[in-house]
Amino acid sequence: MNKLIRWPGLISFVVLVVAAGSIVFLFLDTWIKLAVIKGLENTTGAEVNIGIVSHKFSPFGVMLEDVQLTDPDNPANNQVQADLIDAKIDLAPLLLQKVIVDDLTISGLAFSQPRVSEGKVYRESKATEQGTAEVADGIEIPSVDELLANSPLKTTQAIEDVQLSYEKHDAELKTQYEALPSKQKLADYKARFKALGDTDYKNPAELATAKGEFDSLKKELTKDKQKITTFKDALKQAKADMSPKLAQLKAAPGQDYEQLQGVIAGDSGAINDVTRMILGDKAALWSDYLLSAYQIAAPLLKKSATEAEQKRRAEGEWINFTDDVPLPDLLIRKAKISLSWQQEVIDSSWTDITHQHEKIGRPTRFNVNSTSSQLWQSLILEGNFELVDEVMKASQNWDLKGIQLKDLALLEEQKLTTRINSSLLSSSGALKITDDLMDGSGKIDLNQLAMTANGSNDLTNLIANTLNGLNKLSIATDISGDFADPDLSFSSDLDTQLGKALLGNLNPEQQSKLDELKQKLNGQAAGPLGKSNADFARWQDWEKLAEGDLTSVNDMLKSQFTSALDKQKNKLKDKLKEKLGFE
Amino acid sequence: MIILAKLLKALHSDAGPWQLAFGIMFGMMMGLTPFFRFHNLIILFVVLFFRVNLATFLLSFGLFSVFALALDPLMMDVGESVLLSESLNGLWTAFYNTGLGRISQFYNTLTLGSLLISLLFAPILLLASKYLVIQYRQRFLAWVEKLWIIQLVKGSKVYQIYQGLGG
Repeated sequence: MNKLIRWPGLISFVVLVVAAGSIVFLFLDTWIKLAVIKGLENTTGAEVNIGIVSHKFSPFGVMLEDVQLTDPDNPANNQVQADLIDAKIDLAPLLLQKVIVDDLTISGLAFSQPRVSEGKVYRESKATEQGTAEVADGIEIPSVDELLANSPLKTTQAIEDVQLSYEKHDAELKTQYEALPSKQKLADYKARFKALGDTDYKNPAELATAKGEFDSLKKELTKDKQKITTFKDALKQAKADMSPKLAQLKAAPGQDYEQLQGVIAGDSGAINDVTRMILGDKAALWSDYLLSAYQIAAPLLKKSATEAEQKRRAEGEWINFTDDVPLPDLLIRKAKISLSWQQEVIDSSWTDITHQHEKIGRPTRFNVNSTSSQLWQSLILEGNFELVDEVMKASQNWDLKGIQLKDLALLEEQKLTTRINSSLLSSSGALKITDDLMDGSGKIDLNQLAMTANGSNDLTNLIANTLNGLNKLSIATDISGDFADPDLSFSSDLDTQLGKALLGNLNPEQQSKLDELKQKLNGQAAGPLGKSNADFARWQDWEKLAEGDLTSVNDMLKSQFTSALDKQKNKLKDKLKEKLGFE
Repeated sequence: MIILAKLLKALHSDAGPWQLAFGIMFGMMMGLTPFFRFHNLIILFVVLFFRVNLATFLLSFGLFSVFALALDPLMMDVGESVLLSESLNGLWTAFYNTGLGRISQFYNTLTLGSLLISLLFAPILLLASKYLVIQYRQRFLAWVEKLWIIQLVKGSKVYQIYQGLGG
């Protein structure tokens, strides 16, 4: 037996296994820390710091303290940070390379917080948007001729419309007008009717002949009447078509002037985007909070799906066979995430966080329902998302009321600084993501608004004055684009207000250009307008003539024919009475 | 130097050819397969508990670990084709849902592929090693003993210390 067995070997084996176990036990926290840092840095592309990592075996859990993810766009800030992440992990599925977290608690979560020292960036992210330099430096004002040549003018369009309308109707009207009975012909009709009416018919035979002549005359007159009626109808149609176009031609120079004066007055591009410029960065931060589910969780989950594929060739592929209980590679069954905002905490509940929703057959759900606190009246947010074949599908609704903003710097640039001294912010909206594309809109209302703004040139002073005068502001937000890089657009009546203010503060050069613009626009419209007015007046004259002719024809057709017959009837009646001896 | 010294000592010792051959075989299995796997714990236990020659085991383990780098793609393909074989799907699924199946991590293409290849070559390597050890001892042992390099090794301080430790 001893020839086969080496007893000291058994001791060595036990010693080796115990030593290996001890090493794992002693360095487990360090390995976990390094693994988490490496994984997160690969995902975010920037430095990740973790303070302390600890674990416990029953139930198996890992606790990470002071976790900081550097913002690759702004390395002086953390994109996200958390005071504590506590995960209770199911051990058995770990053998199947599946991380199943029964319970996850993240507390002290915060976005965009300053770092003690600038974090390293390993992968360049998208460029940050610039807005203020544009406003401060302004745009070169084009000449009036350039402006007229490059702008789609309503005046030009209106001239074209009027000309087309005129050409369409005038030739036809002219032909019809020329075919109308002349004055002479009408006078002739009148004379013939009069003659027939005035003749003293001796007997019924003469009366019958006259009646025949009268009917033939009436037939001829009816034909001419038809011509007049048709002409009148065509005229009416032409006028109905032409009138609004003429009115538009009259109004067009004024409308073009309204539209173009903003360009002459200053910086129309900046005016149109001033809401974004002033609130954009802060609103983008607010959107980070609102879209945090997608901005943070989803990309991490999506990345883990991609990484699994990349690792395939390095250490072999893990083939999944049907589980007794189907499990995704990563599943957080229940999570409670506490977001720190100022001195308050916003709790959110999550269920079924995974990147393989097809395996569990339900989406990840999250909700925030926070009642009144010192800083807000109510915060309600709920949504869900699911990744199927790495494509995101999600929906989210929010309704936030009475959030107190105090002493909040919006813009701190050399040429313009803006700050909200105090305000109550409310926001509501809805968002859907289909095939990774966002489609949503929201409303941000700033009530009881008190702002302080300072400018350093004419334009920024004007903006600052307008902002200082605001006591409320409604901003409409549109969200679109890829969920990993959403496009946020903002609009408000601030743009209009600033546009008006800008027009009220023109310098002499701008005023002279505006005058020139007005003159040229009016000049463009004047020629065609004069001609069209003359044409229109001619049509109106024709209409009056036709109207007169028609009245005359109608009179002839009705009264003269009736009176001639009555006259003869009365004569015949008198004769009859005479012969019968009635008096 | 210690490994070489140990190998020389083993070859030149009374250790049986089977002991040496098993050392080479188990070293090959551990070297070709991913290190942190359950079957390697069993191999380690067998190697230590039974009188398998440790020198040949360690030398073989080192040597085949290097070979594994080149053979990994082939072994992964073998593992993948076996794991994805439709006829074996029932077997793998049943095994996957057992504790042993999960601990063994067989469902990794590299693990299963390398284990299957090493198991396939194990008997061949075992018999070939035994044959070579016997041939070495019969034909080359006396000649090698006279080589100046062997004298140099045997005379080295490391070898003396190793001998002194009873290795």
